Amino acid sequence: MTRWIQIYRAQLKVGIAAMLQYRFAVLIWAVWGFVGPLISLAVWTAATASRGGSISQGATTFSRADFAAYFLVFMVFSHLTMSWDAMEFASRIRDGQLSPQLLKPIHPIHRDVAANLAFKIVTSAMLLPVWGLLILIFKPTPPANLWQPILAVPALLIAGVMRYLFNYCVALIAFWTTRVDAINQLYFTLDSFLSGRIAPLALLPLWLGTIATYSPFRSMISFPVELALGRVPPSQIPLGFALQIFWLSLSVIALRKMWNSGIRQYSAVGA
Amino acid sequence: MSDPQIRVDDLKKSYRVHEREAGTKASIKSLFKRTYKEVEAVKGVSFTIEPGEVVGFLGPNGAGKTTTLKMLSGLLFPTGGAASVMGYTPWNREQKYLRHISLVMGNRNQLMWDIPAMDSFLVNRAVYQIPEKQFQETLDELIALLDLEKLLKKPVRGLSLGERMKCELAAALLHRPAVLFLDEPTLGVDVTMQVRIRQFIGEQNRKYGTTVLLTSHYMADVTALCKRVIVIHRGALLYDGDLSALSDRIAPFKLVKLDFETPEAAQKAGDYGLVTEQEEMKVTLRLPREETSSTVARLLAELPVRDLTVEDPSIEEVIEQVFASGVSA
Repeated sequence: MTRWIQIYRAQLKVGIAAMLQYRFAVLIWAVWGFVGPLISLAVWTAATASRGGSISQGATTFSRADFAAYFLVFMVFSHLTMSWDAMEFASRIRDGQLSPQLLKPIHPIHRDVAANLAFKIVTSAMLLPVWGLLILIFKPTPPANLWQPILAVPALLIAGVMRYLFNYCVALIAFWTTRVDAINQLYFTLDSFLSGRIAPLALLPLWLGTIATYSPFRSMISFPVELALGRVPPSQIPLGFALQIFWLSLSVIALRKMWNSGIRQYSAVGA
Repeated sequence: MSDPQIRVDDLKKSYRVHEREAGTKASIKSLFKRTYKEVEAVKGVSFTIEPGEVVGFLGPNGAGKTTTLKMLSGLLFPTGGAASVMGYTPWNREQKYLRHISLVMGNRNQLMWDIPAMDSFLVNRAVYQIPEKQFQETLDELIALLDLEKLLKKPVRGLSLGERMKCELAAALLHRPAVLFLDEPTLGVDVTMQVRIRQFIGEQNRKYGTTVLLTSHYMADVTALCKRVIVIHRGALLYDGDLSALSDRIAPFKLVKLDFETPEAAQKAGDYGLVTEQEEMKVTLRLPREETSSTVARLLAELPVRDLTVEDPSIEEVIEQVFASGVSA
């Protein structure tokens, strides 16, 4: 345990130092994470205004302030669970940058996790005042109850880990084909629709909402967001956690299998 | 005699490579019908290396040297054969194994580009679990030997190639590996730095008994460090033995340098052996080793010679001969 604390402390330190070298680029990346949910919020705010102040689908109703709450929480949770390994891994394989990492007596994922945490530490410190300002401007609806936001904490932790592992699995496809841009694009498109990034899942057409509910993408962001807003029907909460655990376990198994098999493929390209 | 530190037995590695002709027509054709070629990078190489040996691993580009080093350091899985380094199978990539080896590649960096090398060293300390005292001792020693003092605080991207290579070597040796694989460690660095790096590697071997397997295109690296060389060509082993015996085994000839008294005599030199160089009345002849004495005696008796020296071919010439002819030892 002490070993891991030492390793992560050292990696975090250099991760933060590296991030601070490119503070402007890092800030742009972080702000970019805000832009998507803000655009969605603007669109839904306009739609709400044109429909008499609220939008309904079945038993679910969202007012302008509900949308503000949803997208402001989504913005934070999306930022806290984001990862970019899928976009970088292929070039690491192509250029052989993975080799020095493979020579170390530690799985390269730990270095990546530490870099990911470093990014979140640095950017969260930069973005915290902006979040506060947005809350003041948009005046979101407060959570419907207090116990669900508490449950959102473990849900967010699971979501962060599973989103990271899923993304890493997508990254590992690069062991088999180094041109992974199309696969990444497909993954991020599915993520946009099924994670609730474009619209709250409760407002999707029933068939699409059902697919989204059981897909891994809801477990990655939307479920913790819904909990933080206190909007999950109590009877649905165990199912939400069960799905999270299921997808988390699956991502761990998939990652192991893909790594063990992919590493055997790692060969002439850049090794 | 102790057990070999490295044992390689009939090691093979082949790649499946997609190939096509150049041009648009060929690229469209390859969309529908792909042709693959099996490239055998290493074709059943076997050797052993004892603890504390420094062995030169020689061969032209594409001979299979780097592929072999990558298999021995666990980066690549072989297609066939076996290898054991310190009792471990390298490609199982056990943490215990990786803690005891290092691979330095002249064209690859382990140091993080944006931050000073010292920060990368501290990460290595944690990753390799180097005790604080040992870390400090090794670091001080490396700083002194490689003259690193001023380099450690600069971001790596601001260092020259030679400076970076010194820091790379230091990073690779902080955990005092028992086995060191060096792939072109002096690639692209200037002559003074090459000498420094060579001395340093020799020092590490003497002081800690580090086993070193070294590839280099600079023969000076090999002659300065290695008593023994392994030569591979097109994936197969050509020679394994003393560097000094390499020329006897593989290039059994001598070079006779003659300075004739007349141009006519210089013209006739070709009747006695293969002329490799000629500049007016100065001629270099290549003669089979066993015929050298008798041919030289005949030359002296029959032609007006002002000066004559008999030399062994340089190691570069021997290696060149090996690669040109592919002679098997």
